[in-house]
Amino acid sequence: MKRRVFLKAVAGLSGLLFLPCPAKAGKFFSSPLARNRLRPPGAVSEEIFAGKCIRCGRCVEVCPYKSIIPLDIRSGVYAGTPLVLAEKVPCYLCMKCVKVCPTGTLQKIGQEETRMGLAVINRHLCYNWQEMTLCRTCYDVCPFKEKAISLHELKPLIHDDYCTGCGICTHACPVTADDGQKAVNIESLYANETVRW
Amino acid sequence: MQKTADRTPKQHIRRWRLLVQTGAFLLLIITPLLNCHFQVNFVQGWFQSLGIGKFWIVSPLEGLESLLVAKIIYLPLLIGMLFPIIIALFLGRVFCGWVCPIHFLSDLSDRAVRLFIRKKNPKDFLILPRSLLWFVLIVELVLTMVLGAPLFVFLSPPGLVGREIMRVVFFHTLAWEALIVVAVLAANFVTRRLFCRYFCPLGALLAFLGGKRKLVISHEPESCSSCGLCARACPIGLDPAHGEGLSMHCWNCGECVENCKERSLRLGWQKKLGRG
Repeated sequence: MKRRVFLKAVAGLSGLLFLPCPAKAGKFFSSPLARNRLRPPGAVSEEIFAGKCIRCGRCVEVCPYKSIIPLDIRSGVYAGTPLVLAEKVPCYLCMKCVKVCPTGTLQKIGQEETRMGLAVINRHLCYNWQEMTLCRTCYDVCPFKEKAISLHELKPLIHDDYCTGCGICTHACPVTADDGQKAVNIESLYANETVRW
Repeated sequence: MQKTADRTPKQHIRRWRLLVQTGAFLLLIITPLLNCHFQVNFVQGWFQSLGIGKFWIVSPLEGLESLLVAKIIYLPLLIGMLFPIIIALFLGRVFCGWVCPIHFLSDLSDRAVRLFIRKKNPKDFLILPRSLLWFVLIVELVLTMVLGAPLFVFLSPPGLVGREIMRVVFFHTLAWEALIVVAVLAANFVTRRLFCRYFCPLGALLAFLGGKRKLVISHEPESCSSCGLCARACPIGLDPAHGEGLSMHCWNCGECVENCKERSLRLGWQKKLGRG
């Protein structure tokens, strides 16, 4: 009898755990990646990132720019995984983090092969495209000038063959919209590739 | 009595253990400080994965879960897991007793409590079956594969201690997960090392690996006066006087050896069977 009561109580309590609306449960499992929210270089697909990363924090510790931050429990199962906030501190592609990852979650790749995302220019915000002023900040700071970014009639253009998504342009962009968006943002396009086993 | 003391010299286990524990805990504090302020990247990480130069150590449970979810063999991961696995095979759960920051912090809090309550070893209020530990390990591994995201990896108290220290050093904040560490330490008031005894999947894996370990607490029944001091001293409630120093659960922490007045307990290599 006692055991029965106990088991019922346990079942009831664990039921309560899953009760709060499905939206919240979805948030618990949803990826923290979004615009300007990127994984460090060489990251595997987001599909297996939460499982493969063991949250050892070594990438966070070796990052000399403190670009990589560890997420906390508010990110659900992604707690402890590394994230780069491109508009705050971008990745300067020093490639130290990929060399220390013990699980292969960050694969050993070179600077040029890095695809953290793709820079996308918002032409409604960009001073150049709006023809308000001559600004070429993004062009000046890009580590792969003339390859990843070029000026076409003094207006910046991104080339996805070479853009690594490091976010240096986003960080440097002088335009900030009311919602915190920059005129050039990094979209995490490549993170959602399906893994082939 | 004098004869007994001659035969088995006193082992200064507690002194050595405190030294190792303090060193391991200082490593958790010094590593992020060096990395953050001096850009010295020779040592990185904590007990989920520790990199000392080219020598990488990966916690076996976390590594196993990573392999189970990703289903991709990554050689550095396997090699990193090798060292702790070999240690566990030969020495058993020494990580729990000698290195784990949770046990270190529990030890410290025990000492702090002892300043106010003069009772030496508090009573254990909640006793559960020890097989719960295996159950927890299996549930953890199954949940990992079901969810595709290992829970212990981001909620493990020993890992959290390292992560929160790093967070404080690098970002001057604490995360809500730190409450888990506080809860685990608070659970010591219910039963000493309640989490370590019954709920730690990492401890379960290490215990499983150390099933046939070589380093054990051996007991000499001739000199034993059955005073029961060793059973009361054991942080995880084992009774070494009745052969439980040989069980899989034993941490080899040597607390019972330190408390034995008759010196009939000894931490040492297992003697060959059939000799005694």
